[in-house]
Amino acid sequence: MSNTTKVEPPPDAGLYESAAKIYPREIEGRFANLSKLATYILLGLFYLVPWLMWDDRQAFLFDLPARKFHLLGLTLWPQDFIYLAWLLMILAYSLFFFTALGGRLWCGFACPQTVWTEAFIWMEQWTEGTRSQRMKLDKAPWSWNKLRRKGSKQFLWITFSLWTGFTFVGYFTPIRELAVDVVNLNVGGWTLFWGLFYGFATYGNAGYMREQVCKYMCPYARFQSVMFDKDTLIISYDEKRGEPRGRRKRSVDHKAEGLGDCIDCTLCVQVCPTGIDIRDGLQYECIACAACIDACDSVMDKMNYPRGLVRYTTEHALEGGKTRVLRPRMFVYAGLLVILLTAMITSLATRTPVILDVLRDRNALYRELPGDLIENTYTLKIINQSNDARSFRLAVDGVPGLMLDGVDDEIEVEGGGVLSLPVRARAQRDNAYGIMNITFAVTAVDDPSVATEEDSRFLGPTP
Amino acid sequence: MVEEQYRGARKWGRNAQAVATVVWISFLSAAVATMLFFAMFDPVELLETYEPDLEIGRQGGYAIGFFFFWFISAGCSAVTAWLVRTAPKSEQ
Repeated sequence: MSNTTKVEPPPDAGLYESAAKIYPREIEGRFANLSKLATYILLGLFYLVPWLMWDDRQAFLFDLPARKFHLLGLTLWPQDFIYLAWLLMILAYSLFFFTALGGRLWCGFACPQTVWTEAFIWMEQWTEGTRSQRMKLDKAPWSWNKLRRKGSKQFLWITFSLWTGFTFVGYFTPIRELAVDVVNLNVGGWTLFWGLFYGFATYGNAGYMREQVCKYMCPYARFQSVMFDKDTLIISYDEKRGEPRGRRKRSVDHKAEGLGDCIDCTLCVQVCPTGIDIRDGLQYECIACAACIDACDSVMDKMNYPRGLVRYTTEHALEGGKTRVLRPRMFVYAGLLVILLTAMITSLATRTPVILDVLRDRNALYRELPGDLIENTYTLKIINQSNDARSFRLAVDGVPGLMLDGVDDEIEVEGGGVLSLPVRARAQRDNAYGIMNITFAVTAVDDPSVATEEDSRFLGPTP
Repeated sequence: MVEEQYRGARKWGRNAQAVATVVWISFLSAAVATMLFFAMFDPVELLETYEPDLEIGRQGGYAIGFFFFWFISAGCSAVTAWLVRTAPKSEQ
């Protein structure tokens, strides 16, 4: 981007506005509607999802107290942690993909910071009015009117924040029971703490910090530009068409007067939630919310100029070239995404719903029993990940004649349960010398494909 | 001609920036560390093994773990930020 049209900073540039608040102006238009829609959908999902039921339990419940994650019909255990890592990787690559394709779509429409800020700004507008009313109100001395307006804004903000905190906690503890506890003022210590913590974070981030989070605190905002190329969708001011900018009467033929299409109304600056001037070129503060496009389009309509002085475009298109959507970078990101997704879905679909953990008793190396027997003891944990009770057969292998003592032929484990099973394994002394590798195996009685193995060691006297 | 109060936006001072960044980034890393750590270790089992007398429970264990990680990473970030900012300037 060229710097030739940079607006000269005012003489006191070093000092000005170090603490000034941004009062984003309300705007209507295509992208404002899109952003409203995104806010409704995303916040709607956030607040509704914990109330959904699947069979007779919460459809999405990250049950930390029980160490189980319920996602619709699927139950994940700490041992399935790999799927969470996988999911995070998929999300990261999706972000790369969409950033390379559409620029900061995430920032402008989907980031929780943006979405909650949008909701908080609505509440601000309902109670304190339009941009100019808000600015006037802030400058005015305290009065009954100011108190009433500010008070109702705080009331809305705090109520909404508390509800947000409650919903957040509802993803981790059953929300219906939690609601009853809240009504009875009987919320447990940590639950209350995390609810207030998240509520307060929402209040602070969406009510006060707003664009500062994007500008100073967000790592993505800083590094997203490395995913950009000349074919990435950006929001840009068409300098060639707009300059030289200047005010004019509607009746004037501005081209004859040597003026560009920009009438310098500064609406694009007034609507900007991060307070930048899009006409200065691509800036990392720009979260691509497209408010300036709506603002400029509305002015172009009034002036009877064509729309799109500020528009979604690409660097290539601005330079008069063609935008290439299918480029190697896109194929790499898309390919990686497809591979990761397929692998994860396959792995989830073929997951055996049983886990075996073997812990060797650390207190004794081995025990010598009458009859020339050597005994090792273990604690087995059989985890039945299916939702119904199941019987398993246990076997061990690795030492000739190795036998299990005190183990039933069929071991029943309740649905979603963990069975802790002390096991004594015995072998003839002649067969058990030194350290030997053994393998425990469990197999479901009703379905031999539900089986798993775990290695351990059998110790005997030194030869 | 842009009205002054809309230009340049609100800027945080250097200290506010540093504090906010340190607190926020260490918060994120603490969240990741907590997730990784407690996916592998159950606080109840850890407590039973090492501190059977303490009555903290699983949720208390998670919270203590989270704040521990937050505290450690915030300390680390803060020292790094401070060292970077107070380093002798390299000559051009």
